[in-house]
Parts: sequence; C-alpha cells; structure tokens
Amino acid sequence: MSRPDRPRHVGARIQRFEDTRFLSGTARYIDDIRRPGMLHLSFLRADIAHARILDVDTSALADLGFPVQVFTGADIGELSIKAHQDFPEMQYSEQPLLARDRVRFVGEAVAAVVADDPYRAEDAAELVLVDYDPLPTVATMDQARDPQMPGLFDGWRTNVFVERTMRGGDIERARAEAAHVFTRTYSTQRQAGVPMEGRGVVAEYDPADRTLTVWSSTQIPHLLRTYIAEELNWPESRLRVIAPDVGGGFGIKGQVLPEEVLIPWIALKTGRPVKWIEDRREHLTASIHARDHRHTLEAYVSSDGRLLGLKADISVDVGAYSTFPFTAAGDPGMAAKVMPGPYDFQHYEATFRALATNKCPVGTYRGVGRPSAVFAQERLMDDIAKELGLDPIAFRLKNIVRNFPYTNALGFTYDPGSYAEALEKTRDLIANDCAAAAASRTASGKRIGVGIACFVEQSAHGTPDFTRRRVPIETGYIAARIEMTPDGQAIIDIGLQNHGQGHETVLAQVAADGLGVHPHDVRVRHGDTATTPYSVGTWGSRGGALGGGAVHLAATQIGNKLKAIAGHLMQADPATVVLGNGHAHIDGQPSRSVAIATLARAALRNVDQLPQGMGPGLEAQVSLDGPADGTYSNAVHAAVVEIDTRTGKMELKRFVVVEDCGTILNPLIVDGQVRGGVVQGIGSAMLEHFIYDEECQPLTVTFADYLMPLAPEIPDIEVHHIETPTPLTPLGAKGLGEGGAIGPAAAIANAVADALQVSVTSTPLNANAVWRLCSALRGGD
Amino acid sequence: MIEVTLEVNGTKRSLSVEPRRLLADILRQEFNLCGVHIGCAHGACGCCTVHVEGVPRLSCLTFAVQCDGKAISTVESVGGVEADHPLQQAFRSNHGLQCGYCTPGFIMTLIPFVDAMVAEGRMPGDPEIREAMSGNICRYTGYQGIVAAVREAIGDRLGTQR
Repeated sequence: MSRPDRPRHVGARIQRFEDTRFLSGTARYIDDIRRPGMLHLSFLRADIAHARILDVDTSALADLGFPVQVFTGADIGELSIKAHQDFPEMQYSEQPLLARDRVRFVGEAVAAVVADDPYRAEDAAELVLVDYDPLPTVATMDQARDPQMPGLFDGWRTNVFVERTMRGGDIERARAEAAHVFTRTYSTQRQAGVPMEGRGVVAEYDPADRTLTVWSSTQIPHLLRTYIAEELNWPESRLRVIAPDVGGGFGIKGQVLPEEVLIPWIALKTGRPVKWIEDRREHLTASIHARDHRHTLEAYVSSDGRLLGLKADISVDVGAYSTFPFTAAGDPGMAAKVMPGPYDFQHYEATFRALATNKCPVGTYRGVGRPSAVFAQERLMDDIAKELGLDPIAFRLKNIVRNFPYTNALGFTYDPGSYAEALEKTRDLIANDCAAAAASRTASGKRIGVGIACFVEQSAHGTPDFTRRRVPIETGYIAARIEMTPDGQAIIDIGLQNHGQGHETVLAQVAADGLGVHPHDVRVRHGDTATTPYSVGTWGSRGGALGGGAVHLAATQIGNKLKAIAGHLMQADPATVVLGNGHAHIDGQPSRSVAIATLARAALRNVDQLPQGMGPGLEAQVSLDGPADGTYSNAVHAAVVEIDTRTGKMELKRFVVVEDCGTILNPLIVDGQVRGGVVQGIGSAMLEHFIYDEECQPLTVTFADYLMPLAPEIPDIEVHHIETPTPLTPLGAKGLGEGGAIGPAAAIANAVADALQVSVTSTPLNANAVWRLCSALRGGD
Repeated sequence: MIEVTLEVNGTKRSLSVEPRRLLADILRQEFNLCGVHIGCAHGACGCCTVHVEGVPRLSCLTFAVQCDGKAISTVESVGGVEADHPLQQAFRSNHGLQCGYCTPGFIMTLIPFVDAMVAEGRMPGDPEIREAMSGNICRYTGYQGIVAAVREAIGDRLGTQR
C-alpha cells in the first residue's frame, strides 16, 4: 500500500532543467542586458595604494570629438558604502562610491566616464588626470597594529577596525590542568572566489511608471534593493533589482559594492540607461578578496591525550574598507566562532581582530573564515598527535563530539551528525594509502603523504546568530511563494538567486512531491524583486535547507487544499487522498482518481465545484528562518600527495570526501557542489595567491599571475555520503554549498606534513613552498 | 573603419569595423550571439572560444578584421536552442556544468577533440581528456563532470559506429 505524502522526487538523481539554456547559448547574463539609448561606463581607478587626491583634471575630455560625461568624488556628495557592526569599539569606515579626498587601495574608483560605446568610454577614462600626494602605505598586519602608522581614516587610533574576545568555560583552569601545552601559528594567504563572469551593473529609469530598474550580477537582489533605496533615498516600491543569469558568485557577489549604487545614481543623473561591465583586472584588484588570516593557537591537552581547552588569537588583514553586509569583522569573527569545531572541550577563548591595510577589501568567499580556521585547527591536531606519538585519526576520535545535541564552549548547539562515523569511514578508505606513505619514508626521491581534515560547518543559521554578531545583514530567512495555474502546473517564486546551485531543478522536485505533479510541471523563478518575496538571497549554504524547506511547507499547504477539493469531488475523506503522478487518488484505490489539473481548474476557474465555504485560489507563501544556531553539516576530507623531494614537485594523487549534509535532495547536484568546492579548496591549498608588494601594488592582476586549478592537475574527487537528517529543517536537509571548499587546505597541508615529516604552517603549498619544505630532506641547501 | 565579410553560423554578412574591435565583441554586439562569453579578455580562460574555419580560437585575442572572408561558428550553431548535440547532451547527463558561463567555451573547445577521437576510433584516457581542456577554466564543476561527458560523447559514437 502506498503511503500518503511519501516523497517521490526528493532524493532522485534528476538532470538539471536549467542546463539547456546554458548549453545552447540562450542564457542571459549581465552583459547580455541591452537597453535603448544605453550609455557605457568606464572607471579611472587609483594606481597608487594610499594618497591624498589634490586634483582630478577632466579637461582633456572636452576635445574628444564624441560626447562623454564624467563624474568624480566631488559630484557624489556623501554617497558611500557603510558597513558598521554595532559595537562601541568598532572604528567606522565609509567607502565613497567614487574616491573623494583620498584613495586607500589600488583599484579604488576615482572617476566614472560614460559614452555611447564601451571602447570610447575606456578611451576617455584614460584621459582623466589625477594629482596624488602619496601617503605611507599600511602593507602588513604588523604595520596595521603599529600605533606609529598613520590611520587610514581621520580620527582612527590604530588601523584596527575591531578587536573582540569570545569566551566560554574557564581557559585558566584548562591551562592549569594541562599536561601539555602546544602553541603554534598558522596562516592562509589572500585569495578570492574569482567567478568566470565578473561583476556588472545596468540601471535604467522609466519615467512612465517612475521606476528605477537595476540589473546586477548579484546573489542578493532584495538586500541590494534595500541598500540602493536607503542610500539614494528612493522609494523601495519603485525600485526593481534583477539578477539575470549569474556566472558564478561564491560569495563575491554576496555583498553590496560601490558600483551597484553608483550606476543607478548615474542613470538617474543622465536620464539614460547606463551599463558597467567589470573587466578582469578590475575584478582581481577591486572587487572582493578573502582569507588573509594569521592564527596563533594554544591547546591545553591532558596526559591521556584529551583536549581540555583552546586559546586562539586571530588576525585578518581585511583591506581598506568594511564591506556590506557582513562587515570587516565577518571573516575574523567567523573564524573565532567556528574554531572549536567537531571536538569536545568546554574551555575556549578567542581574540579576533580585523586589521585595515591599503589593499582590496575582504568579504565573503565560500566557507567564510572556516577554511582558514579549519586549516589552523586541523594542522594543530596533527602537530599535537605527532608530538604525542598518536595516530592522527585515533587522536581525533578520542576528542570527537559523539553525543547530540551537543553544546560547545561558546554555547552553540550542534544538531545530530556523524562525526565519528565519518572519521572511521575515512580511516578505512585511506588505509592502503597510509601504508604506502609509511613505506615511502625510507625511500629517497618520492615521498607519499596522507592528510585528513575533519570539520563541522554551521549552515543556514537564523536571525539570532546575526543579532549576536550585530551585523547589518540582520536576518537569514528565505521565502517561497507557490501558485498553481489552471492547467495544473505550478510556479515557484523564490527569494534565492540561482547561479549554479540547481535551484530550478531541486526546488521543482520538492514542490512536485507536495503537489502531486511532475517536477517538469514546476517552473522556478528567482532573482527578480518584482516577482519574488523578500529574502536574504543565496549565501551561507541555505538554498536547500531553507529554500527547499520553505517550498516544502508552501507546497504542503496547497497540497492540503488539493486533497480537500479531491475529497469533495470524489465524495471521500480528504485524509484518505494521496497526491502523485499528476493525480489525486483514494489511498489503496488507484482507480478512484481525479487529475491535479481538474482540481486546479476547479480552484481557479470552475469555482462552483469547490466545497461549501472554500474560497478560490491555489497559492501559498512561506518564509523560513534558519535555526537559531544553524544546522551543522560535517565532513572529513582526505588527501594523498606524492612529492619528489629533489624538485619539490607535488602531485595530488587522490582526494576523498566523506560528508553528511543531512537529507540529500538530489545526489547529482550534491556531488557536483562537493566536487566543485573541493577543487576551489585545492586552488586555495596549492595555487591561488593575491600578492602585494611593500607599497601595496598588486602583482597578480591577470590569470597568468593568479593561478586557479586547471583540469590536468586535478584528480577525480571521490565522494561518500552519510545521511543524518536534521530535525531543525522541514526536509532534514543541512547546508551543503560551501563545505567542499573548507577542508582541502588543511587536508593537503597535513598530507605534505606527513610526507615530509615537517610542520606546515602556511598556504599556499605551491611549488616554491614545497621545494623549501623539502630542503631538510635534501640535507639543507 | 575597415570593410569585412564574415560568415557567421552559415550566414555571410559584410560590415565595417574599427580594426581594434575584438571578434568576441563583434559577435556579441553585431551578430547578437550572447553565447560568446568573455571571461578574462586576455586569452587565459577559454570562455570566448569559437571556431574560425572549424578550428577553436579565442575570440578575445582575435580582431574581427583578421577574420575577413572566414567562416566562424559559435555555440548557437552547435545543437540549436534545445542543445541536442551529443556532447551537449552528455554535459547534461553528467552534470558537466553549473553556472554555465564557461560552458560554451568548453563545448567549442571539445567538439573537435571528440570528433578527432571518434575519427581515430579510440577512447582517450582521462589525462588526455583533461589535457584537451587545459586551456579552459571552470570555476564551478571541478572538471570531473566534463571529463565524464567527453568520455560518454566519444563512447556513444564509437559504440554506434561498431
């Protein structure tokens, strides 16, 4: 006998519906938006990292022979990006939409030129002359903390945005009781998401309905709408933000950046549609960077190898400005918050600080603080295990959280997971590699190393988490509205933005189960504030957990109405009605059925057929906030490397993931998200590095300098699943999108440390770094 | 301005262009071919790959005037709006794309490789497939689905030949 409401499509490996437009070239990204009479905008950007602006001379633009308009900091008044955390010790920065009296990083926009043609706009922008009076650059974390250095902003005491301490338990007691104290410093390098499509904005004012429309390659259309409305003092009801197809985001497009406010302002000033498309140099120097961290950890360990407590000192170079909506404290605060990880200890203290330098601002990138925290934490676990002569996995199993729900030292409660099981499964999967690594120790030439990273990922966190952090994001909910059409199809309007995550497929699967229709009959719309309910957008691994949850709840409401109508039409108790395969039938009596399309038509057209007292219509809207502490996904990553100690050449031989994201909604998409994240993490571990010189000149401004993983150097990524559904979201799904990127730096560094029997304290582990680490094995050179 | 004749996706058209205009920009602006994507504009990512006389070429490193009299094809000509070319279908069934931005470039790079393997009647190993796409960057999939798609596209055609 079939059970009512049994999921049929959730969990199925369904090919993505959205693929056809991407494969055929019919997708429409930001640069494909064209409006009649559109102007093209090009920026003149600062080529010096820190200077007073004495003069901006635009006189050469008068003789170009074609019309241009130019805007500078003098034109924009007080318009700026403000990203303040509501803490008394926070030092505020405001990033003017165009630099006014001072530039603070190479790439900061100084003048904006519009012309009828993008080539001509670029020609004209090059003719803007800026007279700079250079100021000393703040280039390093140590310089940022030096009170002798000039402040980046008037009135600043030192170049520290904020420094705070988090405490739980009694760290002094842990120190007093410890048999061993381990102090280590680990660092990760400046890097970023670097989507293949850069950013871009188009804005147009329509005087007919007094509406300003802004197209932006963004993950957060509603938050952008609110920011523009408040900054430009424009009625939000007459502002529409559309994110068209977005060619990758990874968090980079999850903040409001100056161009997204400036271009609409210029469209209003000129009365013409205006387009700006970021070029790659602009993207690499002046969008968002991430992960420039240095962590000093002190671990207190008992004589029998139990972690008693952990003290952390976390510094992050966050660049020249605080970014909206997660602020300068976003990356360091997240690292401090998640550092306790999957281990059971109750004494923890972390001091974190956000340091201002003359570099590109730091913002969110897949994992946000966690990749650096997990790198430090998991390197430390291996360093401790090695000193104590313990097997790394056995040491972790001794300290792993096993009883759920578990409340950690900071008071965050972890929902059920599979931490120990994932470690044990990984141990079995890599047993042969560990043996090969041990055997290679005595060999000269090539060494094999195996490393793991074990972590939890707080995902889909709800409003209380943001209230605690007092960040302007303020909340974390996703809303879904579902409406059925008289032919029995359904439209989902979702407050997420789909830029590769497969929402148009997964959410259709979820709705199809609730409505009894086929996923093909469910259309998903997103990314347009005119059609979708207010939501925070796509970030923080909440698409499946909260977006899917909201769709499930809304579809269930509509499904219940369909059952009531079906019961009425078939003269049966609605509780006995089952929905599926496009029909409603009486449970156990498949021949007694009525088409969903008939029910939809009754609800919307033939309303005389409805039960007494039932109103017409088939729609529902549900907003779903995240759990207060979020839901915790967990994973273990394992890397196997082979290093030629004579040359430093390292090959990544194998990468294994054992992950638990709760209920799997579509395994095809889950595997894709995990693998893609892992490969970005491999880039973090081995390649990607934004380098600045001592004057804060960026040295990595093309893809020939900023190296990302290419197909030949990447092995197949083996993905194994454990499913521990969470009770905290409607479908049992936990966050998934970011986890893949969190573990690789730690796992690969641990593999290198294992292969060479050295401590590894920083990334990237590129050819130079590995060659240097090999020097001891070569007898020093 | 220079007068050129381009045969784009089977249709010849003459137009006058500035010598400095990139082929990518002309295809996008003048021929309305939005499947040509610019990822870096310095020849390092492969997003803008099109075929010039049947050979993959980076349209961001090619001036339109260099293509006078030549036949150019873009992803729009491959499998139509339903994307039903066997390689496109294999991308779909192997989850070889996520955000889709790099996808047209991969398709245009890999079609000649798939054709060559089929002509040689052999299935390449994964390292050879990965090498064939080493001029294209995908930031999203981690490449594994694309490798599987190429394998499937070659395998299917080798299978039907036998």
